[in-house]
Amino acid sequence: MGGKSKNMFKLSLIVLLSLSFTLTGCGGNNSNNGKDAAKNGGAAATETAASTDGKVEPFDISVFIGEAGQPPTPDNKIFKKIKNETGAKFNFEYLAGDINQKLGVMIAGQDYPDMMTGNTKLTAAGAYIPLEDLIEKYAPNLKAHYADYWNMMKDPNDGHIYILPNYGVYNGEVKSSWYSGPAFWIQKAVLKEFGYPKVKTLDEYVDLIAKYKEKYPKIDGSPTVGFEILNYDWKNWGLLNAPQHLIGHPNDGGVVVTDGVAEIFADKDYAKKYYQKLNEMNQQGLIDKETFVQNYDQYMAKLSSGTVLGMFDQHWNFSAAEDSLTTQGKIERTYVGLPLVYDASTKDYYRDLAVLNLNNGLGISINAKDPVKIIKLLETLISEDWQKTFSWGIEGEDYIVKDGRFMKTQEQRDNAADPTWQMANKAKTLFGYLPKLEGSYSDGNSTDASAQPEEYAASVKPYDKEVLAAYGFNSYVDFFSKPPANPVYYPAWSIDLVEGSDAKIANTKLNELSTKYLPKAILADPGKFDSIWSDYVGDIKKANVKAYEDKINEQIKWRIDTWSK
Amino acid sequence: MDETLGKETVALHPKKRKKQPITWSLIKNQNQLIWMSVPLLLYIVLFAYVPVWGWTMAFQNYRPGRSFSEQEWVGFKQFKFLFTDDNFLRVLRNTLAMGMINLVLGFVTAIVLALLLNEIRKMFWKRIVQTISYLPHFLSWIIVTGIVATSLSINDGIVNIVLMKLHIIKDPILWLSEGKYFWGIVGASHVWKEVGWNTIIYLAAIASIDPALYEAAEIDGASRYKKMRFVTLPGIKATIVILLIMSVGHVLEAGFEVQYLLGNGLVMDWSETIDIFVLKYGLAQGNYSLATAGGIFKTVVSVTLLLMANWTAKRLGEERLL
Repeated sequence: MGGKSKNMFKLSLIVLLSLSFTLTGCGGNNSNNGKDAAKNGGAAATETAASTDGKVEPFDISVFIGEAGQPPTPDNKIFKKIKNETGAKFNFEYLAGDINQKLGVMIAGQDYPDMMTGNTKLTAAGAYIPLEDLIEKYAPNLKAHYADYWNMMKDPNDGHIYILPNYGVYNGEVKSSWYSGPAFWIQKAVLKEFGYPKVKTLDEYVDLIAKYKEKYPKIDGSPTVGFEILNYDWKNWGLLNAPQHLIGHPNDGGVVVTDGVAEIFADKDYAKKYYQKLNEMNQQGLIDKETFVQNYDQYMAKLSSGTVLGMFDQHWNFSAAEDSLTTQGKIERTYVGLPLVYDASTKDYYRDLAVLNLNNGLGISINAKDPVKIIKLLETLISEDWQKTFSWGIEGEDYIVKDGRFMKTQEQRDNAADPTWQMANKAKTLFGYLPKLEGSYSDGNSTDASAQPEEYAASVKPYDKEVLAAYGFNSYVDFFSKPPANPVYYPAWSIDLVEGSDAKIANTKLNELSTKYLPKAILADPGKFDSIWSDYVGDIKKANVKAYEDKINEQIKWRIDTWSK
Repeated sequence: MDETLGKETVALHPKKRKKQPITWSLIKNQNQLIWMSVPLLLYIVLFAYVPVWGWTMAFQNYRPGRSFSEQEWVGFKQFKFLFTDDNFLRVLRNTLAMGMINLVLGFVTAIVLALLLNEIRKMFWKRIVQTISYLPHFLSWIIVTGIVATSLSINDGIVNIVLMKLHIIKDPILWLSEGKYFWGIVGASHVWKEVGWNTIIYLAAIASIDPALYEAAEIDGASRYKKMRFVTLPGIKATIVILLIMSVGHVLEAGFEVQYLLGNGLVMDWSETIDIFVLKYGLAQGNYSLATAGGIFKTVVSVTLLLMANWTAKRLGEERLL
């Protein structure tokens, strides 16, 4: 009997043990702790404020970065400086894999670090804490920094500020020598070949490409590609966005806004005109046969080979390919952006004044234990001294000062361009998402080394000097007309259509139709173009376009009401 | 109490062993076994049945971050959206077609390869062929689709080069831009990736066939082909049927990565599967409810197909799963 009960005892122990293993997996929903912490934040902060007047108190901040990347080296000098002077130690978690999947898991478990980069899904799930009171109370400099933009930063759904925009707040004089937006791009070699002609219209552009391709059917032994159209996943503007620019409108995404009223342009005649032109180009053999089959990597590989004469794209999207061409010593194969229009009398409106980068930047999560401390840290980091440290580095080591002007030696320039050096000596990712000064500091130096006139002049290659001199321009930005003041609501593409709404579904549907029909129309026999186009327009009519346009118009009106000063 | 006593008396007649009734004494006898099975049972309940609770999401307008009681109930709205969308029939057709192609091709090629491998006398070559053919199984689809896209390219893609050298085609064909080729490409990629792996189980089944059968067949004058036809194939029939029943349940799992990574606007009408549709209109929109509804639909169809296959096998007097 004794032996049996002993057995029994052992067995029940095993059962208990296995039970406890399985059950521990289900525990751990600690969202409440976070909420409490946010509430108690005020009290905690007054305590810490009292204790920080003497020495800095070390504390950890965990940050989720919503893009893939590499963490800085452990002995990174900027982070060391931050830790020594403010006590803050950053722990980064970079995105690995798919952003939506990762966010889904984070939201489901309410498992948030102290800070997270902006995302509308997180906002919708209530993952951020409202910041406006914290800023008013503890961060006068941040408040001053954002003063002109305060109303724009408010979430249209509930009027709170959740995310601090990382770009688009300008101070002082803005100098720009690098255009990052959309344009029709053409190889510098093509312009040189034909004696630097002034290219204004789409027809002139296509003619140049056709003539060049005829003259040079091969570049470095590979067949010359006339025109590329990238249409991969969410990177579909190469196919979709050109028509609005060709009639002289700025980038509003899927709509053209006239007098404050938005309508889609995908089915309009001026869009048809563009795709018909592409169809013609395809007949002439100018468009890459594989263009609609390729993914982003293949597209970049083609651009990097230097065989592609032109494409419609946003500069930031393919600048890595230009870097590669520069490294290969093929400067003549890098690109010039041209603001093309249908009709030479139309004024181009590609370049726009910088806009506030809504829904980007950093927000503080509901799980952050001490939001006040974090806001105070951000307040410290927005000061000019810290901004200079982030952007230029440390004086004497990373840049030199001559008569009050910031400059770099050639060695410092080479360092700054070296990714390995950056890991140990820059806080690039963090600075990318922090609130920042843009334009110039109070001493007149530019906030961005590449925009500092002295630095820009030193970076222009002889080949570029020749091209710019031929056109009488200072930089490639001068190819574009000076932008007028932005309309209040601009840009419509940054309107949050709200997850799961009819408007968003309609938008997905419209994108799907374009992805399906436009390649077909472009590759079709010219005789069949019209029938494919009318099928396309017919299907667009069936989609719920009204829900989409209504949502955008409602938001445009909201922006005009709230954002007007 | 009376009941258990009554059953005990039945158990005393072991001659009619239809089904042994469960009695206290039986439980007592096997109590160690029962205790041992408890953790596994808990595991199944926890990871297979508790998540089914999540199906309630399909009938809500689910928003993450809210508690269950705060969710908005919408009845069959998500299913209605799913079934009334113009694209749904198209993606269902694509899913079924590619699922069937994968099933049939996967089966036939695996069995044929297993039979052929079995005929190789030299162990060394057999091992080499087997190893090479199952290595692709360990590649992830993202790499396989990269290889597929490269070999189908019109710029130096191996498929076009070979076909042109053989004078089968004159100009290189842009395989991935024609909807009519897409299903075939997906089927072929599946075969390339999985055929070696799938043969393993058949080879194991073949190995368990009694060698005496082969000897007897040989004495009766059976050729190698006849031995394959009348000894090997019937010997692994049970394995084939069981595996077939199990894979029928997976017909709707036609895949997601291949179609997503190889698909493009030109072949969209042939490439999109239910999974991609659910991703586009469910997950990418933050509409987890729709995604759940899609999942439920797939589960119901899969279970139905599985039961049907099982029932058919039973009617045909074959081995079956349930």
